[in-house]
Amino acid sequence: MSSLLEGNEEHLERELAGEPIAAPATGSVVLHGLLGIAIVLYYIVGGFFHSNVWGGSAAGGAIRVNITSALPLPSDQPINQNVLATEKPSPAPEIAQPKEEAKSIDLSAVPIPGKKEKTKPQPTPRVPPKQQQITQDNRARYGEQSGSSMPRALTGQTTTVGPTSVSEGDFGSRFPWYVDGINRKMSQSWNKGEVDPGTPKGARVYLTYTIHHDGTPGDVQVDRSSGSPTLDRSCVRGVQRVDTFGNLPSGYNSSTLKVSYYCEY
Amino acid sequence: MKVSFCSYSSLAASCTAFAALLFLTAPAYGQDWVRTGTNLGQARIRMAVADFKPAGADPETPALKATFDSTLYSDLANAGIFDMVSKTMAPQATPGSPQEMNLSQWSAAPANSEMVAFGALSASSGRLTVYGWLDDTRNTTSPQVLGKQYNEAASQDMARTVAHRFADEIISRLGGGINGIAETKIYFVSARTGTKEIWAMDYDGQNQHQITHLSSVSLSPRISPDGSRVAFASLDRSGWAVRMYSLELGRMVNFPAGGGGGTNQSPAWSSDGTKIAFSSSRSGDPEIWVADANGGNLHKLTAFHGPDVSPTWNPRTNTQISWVSGRTGLPQVYTMDQDGANIQRLTDGGYAISPSWAPNGAMLTFSWNRKYGPGAPGGQDIYIMDIASKRWLQLTHDAGSNDFPCWAPDGRHIVFERQIGGHTQIWSMLSDGTEQHQLTHVGNNFMPNWSWK
Repeated sequence: MSSLLEGNEEHLERELAGEPIAAPATGSVVLHGLLGIAIVLYYIVGGFFHSNVWGGSAAGGAIRVNITSALPLPSDQPINQNVLATEKPSPAPEIAQPKEEAKSIDLSAVPIPGKKEKTKPQPTPRVPPKQQQITQDNRARYGEQSGSSMPRALTGQTTTVGPTSVSEGDFGSRFPWYVDGINRKMSQSWNKGEVDPGTPKGARVYLTYTIHHDGTPGDVQVDRSSGSPTLDRSCVRGVQRVDTFGNLPSGYNSSTLKVSYYCEY
Repeated sequence: MKVSFCSYSSLAASCTAFAALLFLTAPAYGQDWVRTGTNLGQARIRMAVADFKPAGADPETPALKATFDSTLYSDLANAGIFDMVSKTMAPQATPGSPQEMNLSQWSAAPANSEMVAFGALSASSGRLTVYGWLDDTRNTTSPQVLGKQYNEAASQDMARTVAHRFADEIISRLGGGINGIAETKIYFVSARTGTKEIWAMDYDGQNQHQITHLSSVSLSPRISPDGSRVAFASLDRSGWAVRMYSLELGRMVNFPAGGGGGTNQSPAWSSDGTKIAFSSSRSGDPEIWVADANGGNLHKLTAFHGPDVSPTWNPRTNTQISWVSGRTGLPQVYTMDQDGANIQRLTDGGYAISPSWAPNGAMLTFSWNRKYGPGAPGGQDIYIMDIASKRWLQLTHDAGSNDFPCWAPDGRHIVFERQIGGHTQIWSMLSDGTEQHQLTHVGNNFMPNWSWK
């Protein structure tokens, strides 16, 4: 008991005796002070050697971006609604290729236990329209040309037709002077002043009409409206105002000529 | 099947795509399509005229050829639809037939012509033979647009006539059916003999000759639509009367409705030649009267206070008359139906006289002084007006006093009288006011009237 007490007393005695804390406390204070100075010095010194390294691995001041080449800038060409000559070529229908057999591993071959098998409806293979298969030559030649302001009839195909064979559709190349005459007459008779000035520039109305053998026009119809009733009407009136385009050329076999004409505001 | 597809489809794309196929399968004779649009074709056709090739060694040939060449060139230049290649710019070649034609020679600079007229001319034993062709220089596969042959008596007049006819063919073909005026005449009043008589000349001022020899005063000649008679106002013992001269008979013929008291003036033929409108003061004021061409069925159309003169028919319909009325003071141009109803005033002021109705029925030309009065800055000038919209266009500017305009049958030319410094002469111009040419130079000449064909 006494030994126990002795031990307790010794312990108590040691606890009550003042511990030597002065030296470690001083060391701690000095250490913190040095730490603070070091941090301050780091920022001061680091300020002189400014560097900005965010945004990339290499040194540099800006974010590097890739500029796309296809920015949607306004077109410098007037609106061309001609389906035959458009800025955006229509996708050429591809020649139908026989589909290659898939050589990859069919994952569904190994049945997963517990998974319910879904039965997909098998899509029926599409048969491409017959017209497109006739010849390779037919491959959407009309859609690939860029916008052109030339009248189709004048840019028309250079015919290699001999003088004796008469084929359809080459009126423009055989009688370009008559087509010029139509243009001239129409530009004289079309009164642009009848059109509502709010109509957007470049709006076009397409008409079709028939020229009879004596040159008189008839059967005027709006083929594709411009969206502006006044423009449509003024163009129709322009045709109706023409008495005659002149007799159809004597070398032309048919009795009538079908004309497609557009008025562009 | 495919043919019908092409004619009904609005897509020429399909048609062109099938063109080759069609050609192989079906020799069809459907109608063709051409595609055109505005802002195209406003430029004039560049036209070259080769000197015609003289064929044969007849001594008459060179003189006739010179007349023919110059007449053909001036006719085409006057038509107003061609940009003529000057003769000095054109190649010196004189191709006499399509085989001798070298198209690239004419389409190349400096001629740059799109069309070339050429041919051969020969005179032999009193006959003049002319072969004329028109080629499209840009179309090498089938260049020929026109081929003509003429055979007439060999004389200067006929050389000019043949050139006029060939020019008319070219103008009609390339002008989209407009009637050439190269063979037309102009009737007018001339005082060169001392008294005012009716004269006639070719449209280009050539071949001026006297028609009447009345030794009185004759005014406002109007040729009938068939070209057989001239109606005009003339002063005789009973006063002013509308009288008639037959060009076929070469003498005066009777027109009973034209006399009968008062002042009868300014006759006007309807385009079918059956009626004549004129102004007459037999009932007091000058009013518009209408009679049949033989003088019967006379009746009065207007009944207003103030003078009504200078009628002109709408040649397209013959159901409307335009005339000058002074009912509001200064003379103004009006229109009415042929029964005198539906009167509309066209001019909004000034001093407007002498209307002439365009062949297409849509326009009037008249003489107008828009700022009339003492000290006013206006001049008497020629105007045209679109009747439906009443919008007008001034054709002459700052050049004398202009009056009595009259349309040509092609609707593209106007002949009028112009007074500058006491001299009055006949001029012609395109109906947009350009290409003004003086036609007469001798004496004083007035009141031109263009023949109908």
